[in-house]
Amino acid sequence: MLHSIDPKSAVPIYLQITEQLRRSVAAGLLLPGDQLPSVRELAARLLVNPNTVAKVYRDLERDGLLETRRGQGTFIAADAAAMAEGERRRLLTDELRAVARDVHAFGLDDESALDLFRRVLKDEKPGRKDRR
Amino acid sequence: MTENGFAIQTHSLTKRFGRLTALDGVSANVPTGSIYGLMGPNGAGKTTFVRVMLNLLSPTRGSATVLGHDVVREPVAVRRRIGHVAALQPLWEWMKVREFTHFMGACYPQWNPEAVSSILSHVGIDPEMKIQALSRGQRAIASLAAAIGHGPDLLLLDEALTGLDPMARREVLRNVIDAMHAQGRTVLITGQDIADMERICDHVGFLVKGRLVLESTLDDLKAKVKRVRVEHERDVEIELPQGALEAARTPGETSFTTADFSESLSGSLAGPNRRVEVRDMSLEDIFVHLAQAELRREAG
Repeated sequence: MLHSIDPKSAVPIYLQITEQLRRSVAAGLLLPGDQLPSVRELAARLLVNPNTVAKVYRDLERDGLLETRRGQGTFIAADAAAMAEGERRRLLTDELRAVARDVHAFGLDDESALDLFRRVLKDEKPGRKDRR
Repeated sequence: MTENGFAIQTHSLTKRFGRLTALDGVSANVPTGSIYGLMGPNGAGKTTFVRVMLNLLSPTRGSATVLGHDVVREPVAVRRRIGHVAALQPLWEWMKVREFTHFMGACYPQWNPEAVSSILSHVGIDPEMKIQALSRGQRAIASLAAAIGHGPDLLLLDEALTGLDPMARREVLRNVIDAMHAQGRTVLITGQDIADMERICDHVGFLVKGRLVLESTLDDLKAKVKRVRVEHERDVEIELPQGALEAARTPGETSFTTADFSESLSGSLAGPNRRVEVRDMSLEDIFVHLAQAELRREAG
Protein backbone atom coordinates (compact mmCIF):
# COMPACT_ATOMS: atom_id res chain seq x y z
CA MET A 1 0.00 0.00 0.00
CA LEU A 2 0.94 3.65 -0.29
CA HIS A 3 3.71 3.39 -2.78
CA SER A 4 3.92 6.73 -4.35
CA ILE A 5 2.43 10.12 -4.80
CA ASP A 6 2.34 12.00 -8.04
CA PRO A 7 2.74 15.67 -7.17
CA LYS A 8 2.23 16.72 -10.77
CA SER A 9 -1.17 15.10 -10.90
CA ALA A 10 -4.08 17.48 -10.73
CA VAL A 11 -5.57 15.23 -8.03
CA PRO A 12 -4.66 16.82 -4.69
CA ILE A 13 -2.11 14.86 -2.67
CA TYR A 14 -4.55 14.64 0.21
CA LEU A 15 -6.99 12.79 -2.05
CA GLN A 16 -4.33 10.55 -3.55
CA ILE A 17 -3.34 9.26 -0.12
CA THR A 18 -6.95 8.94 1.05
CA GLU A 19 -7.94 6.99 -2.05
CA GLN A 20 -4.95 4.67 -1.83
CA LEU A 21 -5.79 3.85 1.78
CA ARG A 22 -9.47 3.32 1.03
CA ARG A 23 -8.61 1.10 -1.93
CA SER A 24 -6.20 -0.96 0.13
CA VAL A 25 -8.92 -1.59 2.70
CA ALA A 26 -11.55 -2.31 0.03
CA ALA A 27 -9.22 -4.79 -1.67
CA GLY A 28 -8.35 -6.48 1.61
CA LEU A 29 -4.67 -5.51 1.42
CA LEU A 30 -5.05 -3.81 4.77
CA LEU A 31 -6.94 -5.74 7.43
CA PRO A 32 -8.54 -4.67 10.71
CA GLY A 33 -5.86 -4.31 13.36
CA ASP A 34 -3.05 -3.58 10.89
CA GLN A 35 -0.89 -0.75 12.09
CA LEU A 36 -0.18 2.24 9.89
CA PRO A 37 3.07 4.20 9.95
CA SER A 38 3.11 7.29 12.15
CA VAL A 39 2.30 10.61 10.54
CA ARG A 40 5.94 11.55 10.63
CA GLU A 41 7.13 8.26 9.11
CA LEU A 42 4.59 8.29 6.33
CA ALA A 43 5.22 11.96 5.53
CA ALA A 44 8.96 11.35 5.33
CA ARG A 45 8.48 8.20 3.26
CA LEU A 46 6.11 9.78 0.73
CA LEU A 47 7.88 13.15 0.97
CA VAL A 48 4.71 15.06 1.63
CA ASN A 49 3.71 17.66 4.16
CA PRO A 50 3.09 16.04 7.58
CA ASN A 51 -0.01 18.20 8.02
CA THR A 52 -1.45 16.54 4.92
CA VAL A 53 -0.94 13.05 6.34
CA ALA A 54 -2.34 14.14 9.70
CA LYS A 55 -5.44 15.43 7.93
CA VAL A 56 -5.88 12.15 6.02
CA TYR A 57 -5.64 10.15 9.25
CA ARG A 58 -8.03 12.51 11.05
CA ASP A 59 -10.64 12.35 8.30
CA LEU A 60 -10.44 8.58 7.88
CA GLU A 61 -10.71 8.17 11.64
CA ARG A 62 -13.83 10.33 11.60
CA ASP A 63 -15.20 8.07 8.84
CA GLY A 64 -14.51 5.02 11.01
CA LEU A 65 -11.88 3.45 8.76
CA LEU A 66 -8.98 4.09 11.14
CA GLU A 67 -8.66 4.19 14.88
CA THR A 68 -5.99 5.77 17.03
CA ARG A 69 -4.95 3.99 20.18
CA ARG A 70 -3.37 6.37 22.61
CA GLY A 71 0.35 5.86 22.86
CA GLN A 72 0.32 3.00 20.34
CA GLY A 73 -0.43 4.52 16.99
CA THR A 74 -2.96 4.39 14.19
CA PHE A 75 -4.65 1.14 13.13
CA ILE A 76 -7.20 -0.09 10.62
CA ALA A 77 -10.46 -0.06 12.60
CA ALA A 78 -12.04 -3.30 13.79
CA ASP A 79 -15.19 -2.75 11.76
CA ALA A 80 -13.29 -1.72 8.63
CA ALA A 81 -14.06 -5.13 7.13
CA ALA A 82 -17.77 -4.40 7.30
CA MET A 83 -17.06 -1.06 5.74
CA ALA A 84 -14.96 -2.59 2.99
CA GLU A 85 -18.09 -3.78 1.17
CA GLY A 86 -19.60 -0.31 1.25
CA GLU A 87 -16.23 1.09 0.24
CA ARG A 88 -16.02 -1.18 -2.80
CA ARG A 89 -19.47 -0.05 -3.90
CA ARG A 90 -18.58 3.59 -3.37
CA LEU A 91 -15.38 3.34 -5.44
CA LEU A 92 -17.14 1.50 -8.26
CA THR A 93 -20.05 3.91 -8.25
CA ASP A 94 -17.68 6.84 -8.61
CA GLU A 95 -15.98 5.29 -11.61
CA LEU A 96 -19.23 4.17 -13.21
CA ARG A 97 -20.62 7.66 -12.91
CA ALA A 98 -17.78 8.95 -15.08
CA VAL A 99 -18.47 6.22 -17.64
CA ALA A 100 -22.21 6.94 -17.52
CA ARG A 101 -21.61 10.59 -18.31
CA ASP A 102 -19.59 9.57 -21.37
CA VAL A 103 -22.31 7.12 -22.47
CA HIS A 104 -24.85 9.94 -22.44
CA ALA A 105 -22.49 12.42 -24.07
CA PHE A 106 -21.75 9.97 -26.90
CA GLY A 107 -25.48 9.39 -27.33
CA LEU A 108 -25.30 5.63 -26.72
CA ASP A 109 -28.56 4.01 -25.57
CA ASP A 110 -28.69 2.15 -22.25
CA GLU A 111 -28.96 -1.31 -23.80
CA SER A 112 -25.87 -0.90 -26.02
CA ALA A 113 -23.95 0.51 -23.09
CA LEU A 114 -24.88 -2.43 -20.89
CA ASP A 115 -23.94 -4.87 -23.67
CA LEU A 116 -20.59 -3.21 -23.97
CA PHE A 117 -20.08 -3.36 -20.24
CA ARG A 118 -20.94 -7.08 -20.13
CA ARG A 119 -18.38 -7.75 -22.83
CA VAL A 120 -15.68 -5.77 -21.00
CA LEU A 121 -16.55 -7.55 -17.76
CA LYS A 122 -16.01 -10.88 -19.48
CA ASP A 123 -12.76 -9.76 -21.12
CA GLU A 124 -11.33 -8.55 -17.87
CA LYS A 125 -12.22 -11.60 -15.84
CA PRO A 126 -9.11 -12.66 -13.85
CA GLY A 127 -7.40 -15.71 -15.32
CA ARG A 128 -8.33 -15.10 -18.93
CA LYS A 129 -5.20 -15.58 -20.98
CA ASP A 130 -6.06 -13.41 -23.93
CA ARG A 131 -6.70 -10.42 -21.71
CA ARG A 132 -4.88 -7.34 -22.89
CA MET B 1 6.01 30.82 21.48
CA THR B 2 5.01 32.73 18.40
CA GLU B 3 2.96 35.44 19.07
CA ASN B 4 -0.19 35.74 16.93
CA GLY B 5 0.27 32.51 14.91
CA PHE B 6 2.65 33.76 12.24
CA ALA B 7 6.32 32.88 11.98
CA ILE B 8 6.85 35.65 9.43
CA GLN B 9 4.76 38.74 8.91
CA THR B 10 5.67 41.61 6.64
CA HIS B 11 3.86 44.89 6.08
CA SER B 12 4.29 46.76 2.80
CA LEU B 13 7.85 45.55 2.65
CA THR B 14 9.81 47.30 -0.08
CA LYS B 15 13.44 46.88 -1.03
CA ARG B 16 15.10 48.95 -3.73
CA PHE B 17 18.56 48.59 -5.17
CA GLY B 18 19.12 51.93 -6.87
CA ARG B 19 16.41 52.10 -9.51
CA LEU B 20 15.52 48.43 -9.26
CA THR B 21 12.60 47.57 -6.99
CA ALA B 22 13.26 44.02 -5.82
CA LEU B 23 10.37 43.89 -3.34
CA ASP B 24 7.36 46.09 -3.91
CA GLY B 25 4.99 46.48 -0.96
CA VAL B 26 4.97 42.83 0.09
CA SER B 27 2.58 41.96 2.93
CA ALA B 28 3.18 38.29 3.57
CA ASN B 29 1.88 36.04 6.35
CA VAL B 30 3.64 32.74 6.96
CA PRO B 31 1.64 30.73 9.51
CA THR B 32 3.49 29.03 12.35
CA GLY B 33 3.85 25.31 11.66
CA SER B 34 3.39 25.62 7.93
CA ILE B 35 5.67 24.65 5.10
CA TYR B 36 5.42 27.73 2.95
CA GLY B 37 6.58 27.75 -0.65
CA LEU B 38 7.65 31.15 -1.92
CA MET B 39 7.52 30.84 -5.69
CA GLY B 40 8.12 33.08 -8.62
CA PRO B 41 10.09 33.43 -11.84
CA ASN B 42 13.79 34.26 -11.73
CA GLY B 43 14.36 37.76 -10.45
CA ALA B 44 10.97 37.93 -8.72
CA GLY B 45 12.52 38.86 -5.36
CA LYS B 46 12.50 35.52 -3.53
CA THR B 47 16.11 35.63 -2.38
CA THR B 48 15.85 39.32 -1.48
CA PHE B 49 12.88 38.44 0.73
CA VAL B 50 14.87 35.71 2.52
CA ARG B 51 17.85 38.02 2.97
CA VAL B 52 15.70 40.71 4.55
CA MET B 53 14.37 38.11 7.02
CA LEU B 54 17.99 37.34 7.96
CA ASN B 55 18.77 41.07 8.25
CA LEU B 56 21.45 40.66 5.62
CA LEU B 57 19.58 43.42 3.77
CA SER B 58 17.55 46.16 5.38
CA PRO B 59 14.16 47.21 4.04
CA THR B 60 13.81 50.46 2.12
CA ARG B 61 10.27 50.77 3.48
CA GLY B 62 7.81 48.71 5.44
CA SER B 63 8.55 46.23 8.19
CA ALA B 64 9.13 42.54 8.82
CA THR B 65 8.56 40.50 11.96
CA VAL B 66 10.13 37.07 12.34
CA LEU B 67 9.03 34.88 15.25
CA GLY B 68 7.67 38.00 16.90
CA HIS B 69 10.88 40.01 16.58
CA ASP B 70 11.39 42.99 14.34
CA VAL B 71 14.16 42.00 11.92
CA VAL B 72 15.84 45.41 11.96
CA ARG B 73 15.63 46.18 15.66
CA GLU B 74 16.24 42.68 17.05
CA PRO B 75 18.42 40.87 14.52
CA VAL B 76 20.23 38.74 17.10
CA ALA B 77 17.03 37.40 18.64
CA VAL B 78 15.87 36.51 15.12
CA ARG B 79 19.10 34.85 14.00
CA ARG B 80 19.27 32.65 17.08
CA ARG B 81 15.96 31.02 16.23
CA ILE B 82 16.25 30.50 12.51
CA GLY B 83 18.21 28.17 10.29
CA HIS B 84 19.22 29.06 6.76
CA VAL B 85 20.40 27.05 3.78
CA ALA B 86 21.17 28.75 0.47
CA ALA B 87 22.02 27.28 -2.92
CA LEU B 88 25.70 26.53 -3.37
CA GLN B 89 26.45 28.17 -0.07
CA PRO B 90 30.20 28.60 0.38
CA LEU B 91 31.55 26.30 3.08
CA TRP B 92 34.97 26.13 4.65
CA GLU B 93 36.52 23.76 2.17
CA TRP B 94 39.57 22.86 4.23
CA MET B 95 37.59 21.81 7.28
CA LYS B 96 36.58 18.26 8.07
CA VAL B 97 32.82 17.73 8.36
CA ARG B 98 33.28 17.15 12.08
CA GLU B 99 35.14 20.43 12.48
CA PHE B 100 32.53 22.27 10.45
CA THR B 101 29.58 21.08 12.53
CA HIS B 102 31.55 21.62 15.74
CA PHE B 103 32.33 25.15 14.62
CA MET B 104 28.67 25.84 13.85
CA GLY B 105 27.68 24.32 17.19
CA ALA B 106 29.92 26.72 19.06
CA CYS B 107 27.70 29.58 17.89
CA TYR B 108 24.61 28.21 19.65
CA PRO B 109 24.10 27.29 23.31
CA GLN B 110 21.28 24.84 22.45
CA TRP B 111 23.26 22.84 19.83
CA ASN B 112 22.28 19.18 19.48
CA PRO B 113 25.30 17.21 18.20
CA GLU B 114 23.41 13.88 18.18
CA ALA B 115 20.75 15.18 15.80
CA VAL B 116 23.45 16.45 13.46
CA SER B 117 25.46 13.20 13.55
CA SER B 118 22.37 11.13 12.91
CA ILE B 119 21.50 13.12 9.77
CA LEU B 120 25.08 12.81 8.48
CA SER B 121 25.46 9.12 9.22
CA HIS B 122 22.10 8.32 7.66
CA VAL B 123 23.40 9.46 4.27
CA GLY B 124 26.82 7.95 4.82
CA ILE B 125 28.83 11.12 5.33
CA ASP B 126 31.97 10.30 7.32
CA PRO B 127 32.66 13.15 9.77
CA GLU B 128 36.37 12.80 9.02
CA MET B 129 35.85 13.72 5.37
CA LYS B 130 37.02 17.11 4.17
CA ILE B 131 34.27 19.44 2.98
CA GLN B 132 35.96 19.76 -0.41
CA ALA B 133 35.62 16.01 -0.92
CA LEU B 134 31.82 16.04 -0.56
CA SER B 135 29.52 15.66 -3.54
CA ARG B 136 27.01 18.39 -4.26
CA GLY B 137 24.24 16.37 -2.64
CA GLN B 138 26.37 15.63 0.42
CA ARG B 139 27.21 19.31 0.78
CA ALA B 140 23.51 20.14 0.73
CA ILE B 141 22.87 17.61 3.50
CA ALA B 142 25.85 18.90 5.52
CA SER B 143 24.57 22.48 5.15
CA LEU B 144 21.11 21.39 6.22
CA ALA B 145 22.44 19.46 9.24
CA ALA B 146 24.43 22.53 10.27
CA ALA B 147 21.37 24.76 9.79
CA ILE B 148 19.08 22.71 12.03
CA GLY B 149 21.49 21.63 14.76
CA HIS B 150 20.30 24.39 17.06
CA GLY B 151 16.66 23.35 16.70
CA PRO B 152 15.46 26.48 14.90
CA ASP B 153 11.80 27.47 15.01
CA LEU B 154 12.02 28.67 11.43
CA LEU B 155 14.03 27.17 8.59
CA LEU B 156 14.70 29.21 5.46
CA LEU B 157 15.63 27.10 2.45
CA ASP B 158 16.63 29.42 -0.35
CA GLU B 159 16.98 27.49 -3.59
CA ALA B 160 18.51 24.79 -1.41
CA LEU B 161 17.33 22.05 -3.76
CA THR B 162 18.37 23.75 -6.97
CA GLY B 163 20.90 21.80 -8.96
CA LEU B 164 20.62 18.65 -6.86
CA ASP B 165 19.93 15.29 -8.42
CA PRO B 166 16.58 13.66 -7.56
CA MET B 167 18.12 11.37 -4.94
CA ALA B 168 19.78 14.24 -3.11
CA ARG B 169 16.64 16.36 -3.36
CA ARG B 170 14.62 13.61 -1.78
CA GLU B 171 17.14 13.16 0.99
CA VAL B 172 17.07 16.87 1.81
CA LEU B 173 13.26 16.96 1.76
CA ARG B 174 13.04 13.85 3.91
CA ASN B 175 15.28 15.46 6.51
CA VAL B 176 13.35 18.72 6.40
CA ILE B 177 10.10 16.87 7.00
CA ASP B 178 11.61 14.73 9.71
CA ALA B 179 13.43 17.49 11.58
CA MET B 180 10.84 20.23 11.29
CA HIS B 181 7.70 18.28 12.02
CA ALA B 182 7.99 18.91 15.76
CA GLN B 183 5.24 21.17 16.99
CA GLY B 184 5.26 24.73 15.83
CA ARG B 185 8.25 24.63 13.51
CA THR B 186 7.96 26.51 10.27
CA VAL B 187 9.73 26.12 6.93
CA LEU B 188 9.93 28.72 4.18
CA ILE B 189 11.24 27.27 0.95
CA THR B 190 12.00 29.02 -2.31
CA GLY B 191 12.83 27.22 -5.51
CA GLN B 192 12.06 26.35 -9.07
CA ASP B 193 10.97 22.76 -8.80
CA ILE B 194 7.25 23.10 -8.52
CA ALA B 195 6.69 19.37 -8.10
CA ASP B 196 8.78 19.43 -4.93
CA MET B 197 6.81 22.42 -3.68
CA GLU B 198 3.56 20.70 -4.41
CA ARG B 199 4.64 17.71 -2.37
CA ILE B 200 5.62 19.35 0.82
CA CYS B 201 4.08 22.82 0.98
CA ASP B 202 0.73 23.58 2.56
CA HIS B 203 0.93 27.32 1.90
CA VAL B 204 2.19 29.11 -1.16
CA GLY B 205 3.00 32.70 -2.07
CA PHE B 206 3.64 33.88 -5.63
CA LEU B 207 6.04 36.72 -6.20
CA VAL B 208 6.09 38.35 -9.62
CA LYS B 209 8.40 41.32 -10.18
CA GLY B 210 8.64 42.01 -6.47
CA ARG B 211 4.91 41.91 -5.83
CA LEU B 212 3.14 39.21 -3.87
CA VAL B 213 0.34 38.54 -6.35
CA LEU B 214 -1.20 35.70 -4.38
CA GLU B 215 -0.93 34.00 -1.02
CA SER B 216 -3.09 31.02 -0.14
CA THR B 217 -3.22 27.55 1.27
CA LEU B 218 -2.46 25.03 -1.44
CA ASP B 219 -5.85 23.37 -0.91
CA ASP B 220 -7.79 26.61 -1.37
CA LEU B 221 -5.74 27.48 -4.41
CA LYS B 222 -6.47 24.15 -6.04
CA ALA B 223 -10.15 24.38 -5.16
CA LYS B 224 -10.50 27.80 -6.77
CA VAL B 225 -8.34 27.67 -9.88
CA LYS B 226 -9.91 25.36 -12.47
CA ARG B 227 -10.01 24.77 -16.18
CA VAL B 228 -13.62 24.55 -17.33
CA ARG B 229 -14.65 22.97 -20.60
CA VAL B 230 -18.21 23.07 -21.90
CA GLU B 231 -19.51 21.00 -24.79
CA HIS B 232 -22.60 22.71 -26.09
CA GLU B 233 -24.91 23.27 -29.04
CA ARG B 234 -22.89 24.28 -32.09
CA ASP B 235 -24.91 27.40 -32.78
CA VAL B 236 -24.69 28.78 -29.26
CA GLU B 237 -22.08 31.12 -27.91
CA ILE B 238 -21.45 30.63 -24.21
CA GLU B 239 -21.10 33.77 -22.17
CA LEU B 240 -17.85 33.68 -20.25
CA PRO B 241 -18.01 34.35 -16.52
CA GLN B 242 -16.29 37.44 -15.20
CA GLY B 243 -12.53 37.08 -14.84
CA ALA B 244 -12.32 34.12 -17.22
CA LEU B 245 -8.89 33.74 -18.76
CA GLU B 246 -7.33 31.95 -21.68
CA ALA B 247 -10.66 31.29 -23.28
CA ALA B 248 -10.73 29.01 -26.31
CA ARG B 249 -13.77 28.65 -28.53
CA THR B 250 -14.54 26.21 -31.29
CA PRO B 251 -18.03 25.45 -32.61
CA GLY B 252 -19.69 23.38 -29.92
CA GLU B 253 -16.94 23.74 -27.37
CA THR B 254 -15.76 26.52 -25.06
CA SER B 255 -13.04 26.31 -22.47
CA PHE B 256 -11.51 28.82 -20.09
CA THR B 257 -9.58 29.11 -16.84
CA THR B 258 -11.08 30.68 -13.77
CA ALA B 259 -9.47 31.67 -10.48
CA ASP B 260 -12.81 31.83 -8.74
CA PHE B 261 -14.47 28.49 -9.27
CA SER B 262 -17.67 27.50 -7.47
CA GLU B 263 -20.37 24.88 -7.92
CA SER B 264 -22.82 27.62 -8.84
CA LEU B 265 -20.53 28.64 -11.70
CA SER B 266 -20.57 25.18 -13.19
CA GLY B 267 -24.33 25.01 -12.53
CA SER B 268 -24.87 28.19 -14.51
CA LEU B 269 -23.18 26.64 -17.55
CA ALA B 270 -25.07 23.36 -17.45
CA GLY B 271 -27.93 22.54 -19.75
CA PRO B 272 -29.83 19.57 -21.20
CA ASN B 273 -27.57 19.12 -24.23
CA ARG B 274 -24.41 20.19 -22.56
CA ARG B 275 -21.57 18.60 -20.79
CA VAL B 276 -19.51 20.62 -18.32
CA GLU B 277 -16.12 19.26 -17.43
CA VAL B 278 -14.12 20.83 -14.60
CA ARG B 279 -10.47 19.97 -14.47
CA ASP B 280 -8.15 20.53 -11.54
CA MET B 281 -4.94 22.29 -12.43
CA SER B 282 -1.50 21.35 -11.27
CA LEU B 283 0.46 23.89 -9.30
CA GLU B 284 2.70 24.33 -12.32
CA ASP B 285 -0.24 25.27 -14.54
CA ILE B 286 -1.53 27.64 -11.88
CA PHE B 287 1.88 29.19 -11.49
CA VAL B 288 2.37 29.85 -15.19
CA HIS B 289 -1.16 31.13 -15.46
CA LEU B 290 -0.74 33.61 -12.59
CA ALA B 291 2.63 34.84 -13.77
CA GLN B 292 1.32 35.44 -17.29
CA ALA B 293 -1.83 37.14 -16.06
CA GLU B 294 0.24 39.49 -13.90
CA LEU B 295 2.68 40.33 -16.69
CA ARG B 296 -0.20 40.98 -19.07
CA ARG B 297 -1.91 43.18 -16.51
CA GLU B 298 1.27 45.18 -16.18
CA ALA B 299 1.75 45.51 -19.94
CA GLY B 300 -1.87 46.49 -20.54
